[in-house]
Amino acid sequence: MRKALELLAAAGEDGDQDGGIMRKVVAENAVVIFARNGCCMCHVVKLLLHGHGVSPTVVDVDELNEVKLAGELTEMIGGEEGPGSAAAMQFPAVFVGGELFGGLEEIMGAHISGELVPKLREARALWL
Amino acid sequence: MFSFGKQELIVNHASSNRMNSASTQFVPSRRMGICEPIHQMAMWGDFKGNDLLPVSPPMILDFEAKLDNQSEDTSHQTAGPSNIYTEQASKLNDKALRRLAQNREAARKSRMRKKAYVQQLENSKLKLIQLEQELDRARKQGRYVDSSADTTQLSHSGSMNPGILKFEMEYSSWLDEQNRRISDLRKAVHSNIGEREMQILVDAAIKHYSHLFTMKAAAAKADVFYIMSGMWKTPAERFFFWIGGFRPSETIKILLPHLEPLLEQQHLDISNLGQSCHQAEDALSQGMDKLQHIIGGTLADGQLGEGNYFSQINAAKDKLEDLVRFVCQADYLRQETLQQIYRILTTYQTAQALLAMGEYSQRLRTLSSCWSSRSHERA
Repeated sequence: MRKALELLAAAGEDGDQDGGIMRKVVAENAVVIFARNGCCMCHVVKLLLHGHGVSPTVVDVDELNEVKLAGELTEMIGGEEGPGSAAAMQFPAVFVGGELFGGLEEIMGAHISGELVPKLREARALWL
Repeated sequence: MFSFGKQELIVNHASSNRMNSASTQFVPSRRMGICEPIHQMAMWGDFKGNDLLPVSPPMILDFEAKLDNQSEDTSHQTAGPSNIYTEQASKLNDKALRRLAQNREAARKSRMRKKAYVQQLENSKLKLIQLEQELDRARKQGRYVDSSADTTQLSHSGSMNPGILKFEMEYSSWLDEQNRRISDLRKAVHSNIGEREMQILVDAAIKHYSHLFTMKAAAAKADVFYIMSGMWKTPAERFFFWIGGFRPSETIKILLPHLEPLLEQQHLDISNLGQSCHQAEDALSQGMDKLQHIIGGTLADGQLGEGNYFSQINAAKDKLEDLVRFVCQADYLRQETLQQIYRILTTYQTAQALLAMGEYSQRLRTLSSCWSSRSHERA
């Protein structure tokens, strides 16, 4: 599992300024969690996913000081663009198979209802 | 008997013109704690004392002692020396005038004392009403009622938070409603009612739980510590507490034996559900531990001992917001577990499950009240 920031760094070096870096991260990793540094809810999500044998890619949004990246992320999450809007977003935000799955609540709900495992399998996040 | 101190005697003497003859015995010795209402009633003959709360005597005595010390002083004043005849005549006049003035003075002080006493009574009456309400609420829920404890609390937790007071009232009616539903379910499960009627009962019962979660969410925003401490629950319920409520995996363990007959698949599904709950609970618990760790670290940041910790408090306050989210997530887990049970089981089995859950909670509450009365017996 490559840390998403390595990807970002690599993209930066390539001079790839077209954006879509976030999308690349999400597309290339089966499960991605965007969370604030030291967020305890993110910790809960990670534990739940670990329990299923999944190693999610965790992106620290506090380190995303690039306005473009933050804006792109906000757009993907479905929020409104604009300065400081990323701060208003609900974190942690989980992407499974390239799509926004939701937050801790959605993960928990799917875990209880049994829908989580099939989804993970679909996204090829599970080794079994 | 009573040992009348100097002060008690003065009280009798100065205010005798306003009191009836029973007053000589009304002032209790300071050795007594709360005096009997009878004594207080005799003090003001025109008061009906049925709804009086015994007022602490030292307070009245202090007040009266102060006033009466003054009146004692004025009564000892005498006129200066002068011509005998005019002196005597003027002395008589003076004496009469003085006596009138003293009477006026005594009357005025008496009125002031009466006013203060009435004010005290009014306050005590209000307090009594509040206490009675609290007692009533507490007894209804079988909560621990300690009458010797500090009774200045307005609510069970001492909270004056309107959001919490509202929650406590709502919870009280929720509980009454819940007990009704449990007996309805009990009757239904042991009778031959139709599928549709059963469905209605079950749906309503589950909705009732949802209502509780909504109430709790609002209360958590008002005061998350209140919810986390389970202040509205009975002590035995609190013993089994987990992040603001019941532990779903425990509930499933309790339910399982009462759901026979189950199909093989159902049995498997319920067991798996129990396991999923357990995993989710562990994850949430560990998240909570981390939050505790972080808040503790924030609070301990900087020099402990400097005396200046404004920034640490503020930083910790911000992080406490996450606590609300945890409580909500725990409730969401409870809600989803109930929904999943509903999906796995038949209507009748769900009714059995709800009945088992409900009665288990009733037993916990009963345990609490039995335990508290046992403690009282021992004390």
